[in-house]
Amino acid sequence: MEYLSSERILIVDLEAGEVSEDDLDEELVAEKIGGAGITKALYEQHQEGEPIVLGAGPLTGTLYPASSLAVITAGSPVTGHVCHAPVTYHAGIELKYAGYDYVVIKGRSNKPVYLWIHDGVADISNASELWGKDLWETTDALRRTLGDDLIQVLAIGTAGEDGSDIAQVGVNYWSSGDRFAFGKLFGQKNLKGIALRGMGLLEIADPEAFVDAAFELLSNIKDGAAAGKKGVEDICTAMGQADVKDWLAPLVHRYSACYNTPYPSHTFVFLDADPKKMTDPGTDEPGFRVTDVEALLGFKKLGLSAEAACRLMKACAKQGVDAAAVAELSGRAGKTDAGEIEASLSSLTGTVSLPGRGIFSPWSPRKPLFGDFSVSGEANDWWERRMAVAYVFGIHPIFAVMAPELTEESMLEITRIGTELELDGEVLNAVVGDLLS
Amino acid sequence: MGVKIDALKCIGCMACEMACGYHRDDGFAFLSACIVLYRGREKKNYFGVILKEEERLVVARPEGVEVKIIGAADDEDASSEKKEEDASAKPMLLREPCDLCEEMKYGPMCVKVCPVDAITLES
Repeated sequence: MEYLSSERILIVDLEAGEVSEDDLDEELVAEKIGGAGITKALYEQHQEGEPIVLGAGPLTGTLYPASSLAVITAGSPVTGHVCHAPVTYHAGIELKYAGYDYVVIKGRSNKPVYLWIHDGVADISNASELWGKDLWETTDALRRTLGDDLIQVLAIGTAGEDGSDIAQVGVNYWSSGDRFAFGKLFGQKNLKGIALRGMGLLEIADPEAFVDAAFELLSNIKDGAAAGKKGVEDICTAMGQADVKDWLAPLVHRYSACYNTPYPSHTFVFLDADPKKMTDPGTDEPGFRVTDVEALLGFKKLGLSAEAACRLMKACAKQGVDAAAVAELSGRAGKTDAGEIEASLSSLTGTVSLPGRGIFSPWSPRKPLFGDFSVSGEANDWWERRMAVAYVFGIHPIFAVMAPELTEESMLEITRIGTELELDGEVLNAVVGDLLS
Repeated sequence: MGVKIDALKCIGCMACEMACGYHRDDGFAFLSACIVLYRGREKKNYFGVILKEEERLVVARPEGVEVKIIGAADDEDASSEKKEEDASAKPMLLREPCDLCEEMKYGPMCVKVCPVDAITLES
């Protein structure tokens, strides 16, 4: 696979403590396109090793708008289904630029390890000094040890080590869309985390035509329904929860976006510093990056203040538990006190609800936001197909439900331009059909 | 004519950095970009943009824009500012300066690609 690709698949055998590489076969891309289409195929190929498969789409890390997504595909240790969790922020693209489109991690290590994937090199390293640390401590330690503040980290906190059913794989310091207890799976494999960093180059089959098409799309998006909107607050408003904006307002510091994503979906709140101050806040940990709308609304529904809800989300991220699951399970148990909920994080257990087939993360809202998608038929069918397509090409799954400009046809066309592969709607339908089967 | 950056409008998406890298390498890469998002203070949500021009570095911080002459004595300080300038795989001073993408179809690519118009062209 010559274009828009690192051309390589990394195979990590934790049991043997060895790494190897496979070429990314062009025939596989022609059949499965990429992203979740290929991670699922690799999962099935290596199924005996109960693999965790990371993968990027053909558009991940390009100039196609919102091309920030990578995916973790694995069997959920809670539901048993093969599920796909989003990896966004700046971490999704780092996988590809670190030298691999796909990483298959199979087997179980007999001691705690982490993976260090950088510029086409992969090392399995001793994580005994990281074991027992929370997510924030782990990310700080990895960046300090490996000597680069921009290393992107997928890791577990203590919840994953302890086998919690709601353990989540976090990204750097933040919560993620892992609703499938992949954090528990990391823990079962004695895998503390994955550190990513790279400065690769992706060739483009027809660079000028690719950029022409990407810029035309961006121009349409800038004139579209999502333009000027920002943060979790405007998403909540579009979901009928307009009061979130005033509830959260006193804490809001600044908004940010995932790689090349036109909508800033992160609302950063300051909890221990003045949110109006734009200079360095002095304190090392002034607040929290809020992206998980489901968790935020869940804690709000329990009657918590915005500050209590955000402090709880921060505590969940540090321990590596899924905050949305905490909100749901706490509500079911009748807990409404933030202190009591935080004290219960390490012992909280139960099965949380997942929409549809339960294979895509409800971290992405399950309805169109802002833009008119002219949805006909069942809304959930629309959402699952939209997720499948986004996860195949590498498109931010929240932005995917707010930008109708990002059509399936445009993703196919630009992928064709970028790769010279003859991909069409029939191939995409087959890939989506396989994912949803 | 030059590029103007409003760091407070910036949403930290790195599209400018990628577009500039594309201009330099005719592929998708970050290594050669002369405009870079500095993001080394992630827990503090403190980020901005740094641009290398012919003889100066433009450091657009949330609190304002600072212009530093390359080679001036205070540039040699081992300060946190220095760290930001080098908070990428390749130090800014080793990169080619901004040429406003003068031979490109779209003019300054960073201006074209910014989704929130935090980067503009001023005459």
